[in-house]
Amino acid sequence: MLWFLARRLLAMLPVLWGAATLSFAAIHLLPGDPATLLLIRSGASAEAIAARRALLGWDRPWLVQYGSYLLDLLHGDLGRSWVNGQPVARLLAEQWPRTLELTVSAMGVAIALGVTMGIAAGVWRGTWIDGLSMAIALVGLSTPIAWSGLLAIWLFSLTLGWLPAVGQDGGRHLILPALVLGTTAAGPIARLTRNGLIETWAEPFMVAAHAKGLPARWLLIRHALPLVLPPVLTMAALQFGFLLGGAAITEAMFVRQGLGRLAVEAILAQDLPVVQGVVLLGAATYTFANLLADLAQWLLDPRVRL
Amino acid sequence: MRASSFPARKSIGLTWASLALLVALLFACMPATPAPRRLVYGLTLAPSGIDPHVNASSELGIPLTSVYDTLIYQDPATGEFVPGLAESWTISEDGRTYTFTLRRDVRFHDGTPFNAEAVKVNLDRIADPNTKSQKAVFMLGPYERTEVIDGYTVAIHLREPFAPLLDSLSQVYLGIASPTALRQWGTDYQLHQVGTGPFRFVEYIPNDHLTLARNPDYQWGPRVFSHSGPAYLDEIIFRFYTDPATRAIALESGQADVMGEVPPLDAQRLAQDPRFQLLAVPIPGMSLQFFLNTMRPPLDDVRVRQALLYATDRAAIVSSVFGGLSPVAYGPLTRVTLGYDPAVETMYPYDSARATQLLDEAGWLQVGELRQKNGQPLRLEAVIMGFGYVPEVIQLLQAQWQELGIELSAQQVPYGALLEAGRSGAVHLIPFFLSGTDPDLLRSFFRSDAAFNWSKVADPELDEWLDQGARTADPAIRRQLYSQVQNRIMEAALILPIRDYVNLNVASARVKGLRYDARGWFPWLVDVTLEPR
Repeated sequence: MLWFLARRLLAMLPVLWGAATLSFAAIHLLPGDPATLLLIRSGASAEAIAARRALLGWDRPWLVQYGSYLLDLLHGDLGRSWVNGQPVARLLAEQWPRTLELTVSAMGVAIALGVTMGIAAGVWRGTWIDGLSMAIALVGLSTPIAWSGLLAIWLFSLTLGWLPAVGQDGGRHLILPALVLGTTAAGPIARLTRNGLIETWAEPFMVAAHAKGLPARWLLIRHALPLVLPPVLTMAALQFGFLLGGAAITEAMFVRQGLGRLAVEAILAQDLPVVQGVVLLGAATYTFANLLADLAQWLLDPRVRL
Repeated sequence: MRASSFPARKSIGLTWASLALLVALLFACMPATPAPRRLVYGLTLAPSGIDPHVNASSELGIPLTSVYDTLIYQDPATGEFVPGLAESWTISEDGRTYTFTLRRDVRFHDGTPFNAEAVKVNLDRIADPNTKSQKAVFMLGPYERTEVIDGYTVAIHLREPFAPLLDSLSQVYLGIASPTALRQWGTDYQLHQVGTGPFRFVEYIPNDHLTLARNPDYQWGPRVFSHSGPAYLDEIIFRFYTDPATRAIALESGQADVMGEVPPLDAQRLAQDPRFQLLAVPIPGMSLQFFLNTMRPPLDDVRVRQALLYATDRAAIVSSVFGGLSPVAYGPLTRVTLGYDPAVETMYPYDSARATQLLDEAGWLQVGELRQKNGQPLRLEAVIMGFGYVPEVIQLLQAQWQELGIELSAQQVPYGALLEAGRSGAVHLIPFFLSGTDPDLLRSFFRSDAAFNWSKVADPELDEWLDQGARTADPAIRRQLYSQVQNRIMEAALILPIRDYVNLNVASARVKGLRYDARGWFPWLVDVTLEPR
């Protein structure tokens, strides 16, 4: 168990290094320069912009910049934002819990909704319940958040007045964004649950158990679901990355704090230290979520332990 | 059945009810404390960094104008500069020394007295390279140093004359902060700001909200405010509505009382609704305009550039995209900018016959769908940003020019890439707009060595006028110089102006007394009252 954990944690390092390198490269490949972006509204002269570029270190060869960045990173120093001078670590610490809160609740919504729909569709396969569940899954998956979000605000806030439209004071503000974001990830989970259930149901041991006279409910809970759910868990963990991405749009739409909005603003300003920080933390969060899923798998499914 | 099986619950309920009655009676006997008068103000961009000495966004000035006083104020109606923290000032003969006599009755929110030393600490902080100021330091121009003459007299010395200085000193970016707080918080000052203004800074949670509370000691309001005493509101909460689609929703659901930059169609609709009022504030500065790259063929031919201006039905674009809520722009400056010359308004009326004639003269003849010269079709390229309704504008432009045999292709790029295309001169057209009260802002765009010379103009006379304009104090001479500048820019067709920027603020009808400063962006919230629901 410990060895398993240690190996997995060690495997995170190359992922993080890759994320750091990719974000570094992406910002450098973007046309434009951060000093100009910072000073465009100021009436700065060309010399002043050149001076600012040097102050940011942007005029150094990229290899030197990359090296010093990795070195700082090894010292645990994420640097300071070029735009507001704040330590990146603090910016991340402010925003990350908000994103986590949103993605984890959305994950909850996705699993609850996806598994329920998947079981319903699997149990009553071929009926209208199956059709409806799969249609909902498809619509949820293929509707852009920017649109479903507005629709949800219009319906639940403006028309029905049940929930606040925007903001983030307490749990009530979390319901709509988590629903909107979670619904997008429920589709794949529902499909996987349904197909797994249908496959398992046809297994000989199930047929035998059924022939022995076990009630269908018992068959489902005791025999089918333990086989169906572990892969669903893995799928859910994969969806977590998707949710982290979708959080950016959801956060903007519902006027919430979060890593996503921090990232968008930092990318537009070419605020390299912040972009790198967000990407690193996002990658770490994602790999950690996968690790948790693997752990759960390890606990739930004895075959993994062999 | 149910009641009898739970007999205890009933009596508990009774106990609670009587207790509640008792508490209610107690409260009724106490003197009533009025509910706090709280205004929620919607901002449209979460500014990354809100230290006015350091950061550059207009958005930070909307809340912080209420936190800071400036040495002087500008009357939005007359453009005249009036006393603020400075009671009076003199400008030396050579235009290089500005001497201010300061008020003696002002205290910062933390109790620190305001004096000449405080002014010096602030200006020196802005000028310090370690502050990495993105705007304020450039507003000080050729700043040399600040001299404390006595406790309440301070002189700003410049290396050379700089006419926009008074305008700069009237802006929140040069607002005077408490020296105690600046020393105490250092680089974290932006989260702990302390000024002398009618509201004190309570807290800022980035991307979530910024809270201000009334400063009860405020007695030094400038005469441009409707009253000089403390504010009427107790508290103002600023929230961020970055997605334009959510702004009208926030107003209609009652989550915000005031909202800036409401999309034109929503603004028109809400203006008809008795629950709301539309406050459309024209913004001084550079109109929304396309820079025409004079180095890139075929735009190196002035006739082609002029043809583009004649070929554009600006009124149709503005009414279709901005719902008639913006004035059509005719020159580099908007109407409400100091030194605007209305002479530009008659220079390029929409006239497709004239455009055709100019293109023919330039040798671009209609062959098939597109005009051609020496076998080359007339194709123009633009890069555009995704905001400011530029994508909508460019679509109409494409349609209008197509009729004259001109193909315009446009690529939407991130802002950084747009600025880079401007620098490198890789495309024909680049859209831009910028707010600012002093016409000196044109110097950054039309001087031959300017950082943002996207027209790639090199006109020694234009350079000379722009330099003189920055140095000359006499308003009449400046007006004359900037009139020449505007006319030259338009004669040479360096830009295609589209519309004057107008900030479409929508407020609840309960909000009274809301006015904006000369910048157009910054509200004077000290005078605002909020009627009860």
